[in-house]
Amino acid sequence: MPLLDVENVSKAFGSLRALDNVSFRVEPGEIFGIAGPNGSGKSTLFNTITGIPFGPDRGRIIFDGVDIHRKAGHEIARLGLARTFQRETSFDKLTVFENVLISATYSKANRSPEEQRRNAVEALDVVGLPRSSQGRLAEELSVFDRKCLMLATAVAMQPRLLLLDEPASGLTKPEIETSIELIRRISGLGVTILLIEHVLTFLMSLSQHLLVLNQGQVLALGDPRSIIADPRVVEAYLGTRKAAV
Amino acid sequence: MMDAASQILFGGLFQGSLYAMMAVGLALIWTTIGVFNFSHGVMMMLGAYIAWQLNAWSIPYFIVLPLAMIIMAGAGWLLQASVVRPMIGRPNIVLVVVITTLAAASLIENGALEIWGPRSKQLPTLIAGNTEIFGIGVSLHQIAIIVITPIILLALWLFLNRTRLGLALRAVAQNEDASLLVGLNVTALYGLAFAIAAALAALAGIFMGGYRFMSPVMGADPLLKALIVVVFGGLSNISGPIFAAYLIGFFEAICSYYFGLYWTPALLFAVLILMLMVRPEGLFGSRARGLA
Repeated sequence: MPLLDVENVSKAFGSLRALDNVSFRVEPGEIFGIAGPNGSGKSTLFNTITGIPFGPDRGRIIFDGVDIHRKAGHEIARLGLARTFQRETSFDKLTVFENVLISATYSKANRSPEEQRRNAVEALDVVGLPRSSQGRLAEELSVFDRKCLMLATAVAMQPRLLLLDEPASGLTKPEIETSIELIRRISGLGVTILLIEHVLTFLMSLSQHLLVLNQGQVLALGDPRSIIADPRVVEAYLGTRKAAV
Repeated sequence: MMDAASQILFGGLFQGSLYAMMAVGLALIWTTIGVFNFSHGVMMMLGAYIAWQLNAWSIPYFIVLPLAMIIMAGAGWLLQASVVRPMIGRPNIVLVVVITTLAAASLIENGALEIWGPRSKQLPTLIAGNTEIFGIGVSLHQIAIIVITPIILLALWLFLNRTRLGLALRAVAQNEDASLLVGLNVTALYGLAFAIAAALAALAGIFMGGYRFMSPVMGADPLLKALIVVVFGGLSNISGPIFAAYLIGFFEAICSYYFGLYWTPALLFAVLILMLMVRPEGLFGSRARGLA
């Protein structure tokens, strides 16, 4: 049984069809990549899956056998679905530790305060944020450290599925390399990952399956190497085949 | 000279304590939800009337205080669920909630008029009697307000900064979407913010009802004062308005002593306007909201 089953999901804003009958499945344990040019509907897809700030107009989203498309955002999170944003949004005026602790506290019921603290510390260790930074305000961190904090916040939730929205945006090349290692480490914990990324090399190095969106529709879906060679994908990214050459 | 200093010190502390108690609930709601609750004044009135009613039923006063606060916490939650929650996520929510809470205020005020009538009432003092401090006569009720207010504010600070629930409220105040994503029930937390604010408003009403006559319209002036305090202190957190409340209390005490009672509101508004021209975000505010 797939962990996530997205069936014919559509979302429109007025006359603009941001998502048009999008369907795909994510198997447990895999890293599933989603690519597409700007405005293709990638982030809208993440919004509809998490229900924050909006769900789909039509279609069904089944997470671990549960139909989630009518559930409230916090209920979806408590089922084990975590998400990071393209912009490094955390709780700026909370400390690094408070940011992670709040995830560990409210994402799952029946965890003792000691367990919650332990989960928070472990999550910070997973992403490599030094313990000395725990008392600093999130707003004081560098862009890369804030991305790490966002990942730690998600890891502290002990999610079954993690949605990563352009984790490499705004990072330098060495930081991107570190991010790739970090995502592999999180995947190694048994977390299934759905990954949006603009940097194709980033997606290629991580994904087992790749889906390409264009103008809200599924343009291609399958093995990343064959997808990347698909002329339709090249054209969607670069305009014309000639330009790609 | 000593007499003047004593009067200003005592007057400043007393007015500052009252203003802090009036404003902190309003600030809590603004920083958490980003709306102004124009029912805050009538919640003070309703809290005072409920305390009066409980006292009229011969319930001991030390039970009346917490009981009135608990009842008002429920009323605050109900207010949020009925006139604020349905508006969350809609365009122009700040203006819409101004209208809906004003409508609720009118309903509650007229309801109180129907139930308790227009005749003025007064609550018993927290502590009966008077005393003399540094040569000036003061009531023990006023001293109780000066002492209790910082304790309540400290308890609120500890709740917000030392408990998981307080942490959740601070998180919601900063980023609603991120709060939902980590599993926070934002709707329930909004209800909690309103419940706490209403309980604090009730206490402010009870403080007022012990030294001046109560009427169903008694919430209008405290609401205006609370708004001034919140705008003056800054809309970004709740500590700014608390400091501002004491500053304004002392400012009023000084103005009243040297220029008279009638000039004081005009001078206060002049300072407020000047301050907003220099620091639109408020004296202790920043541009981002947060419960700190």
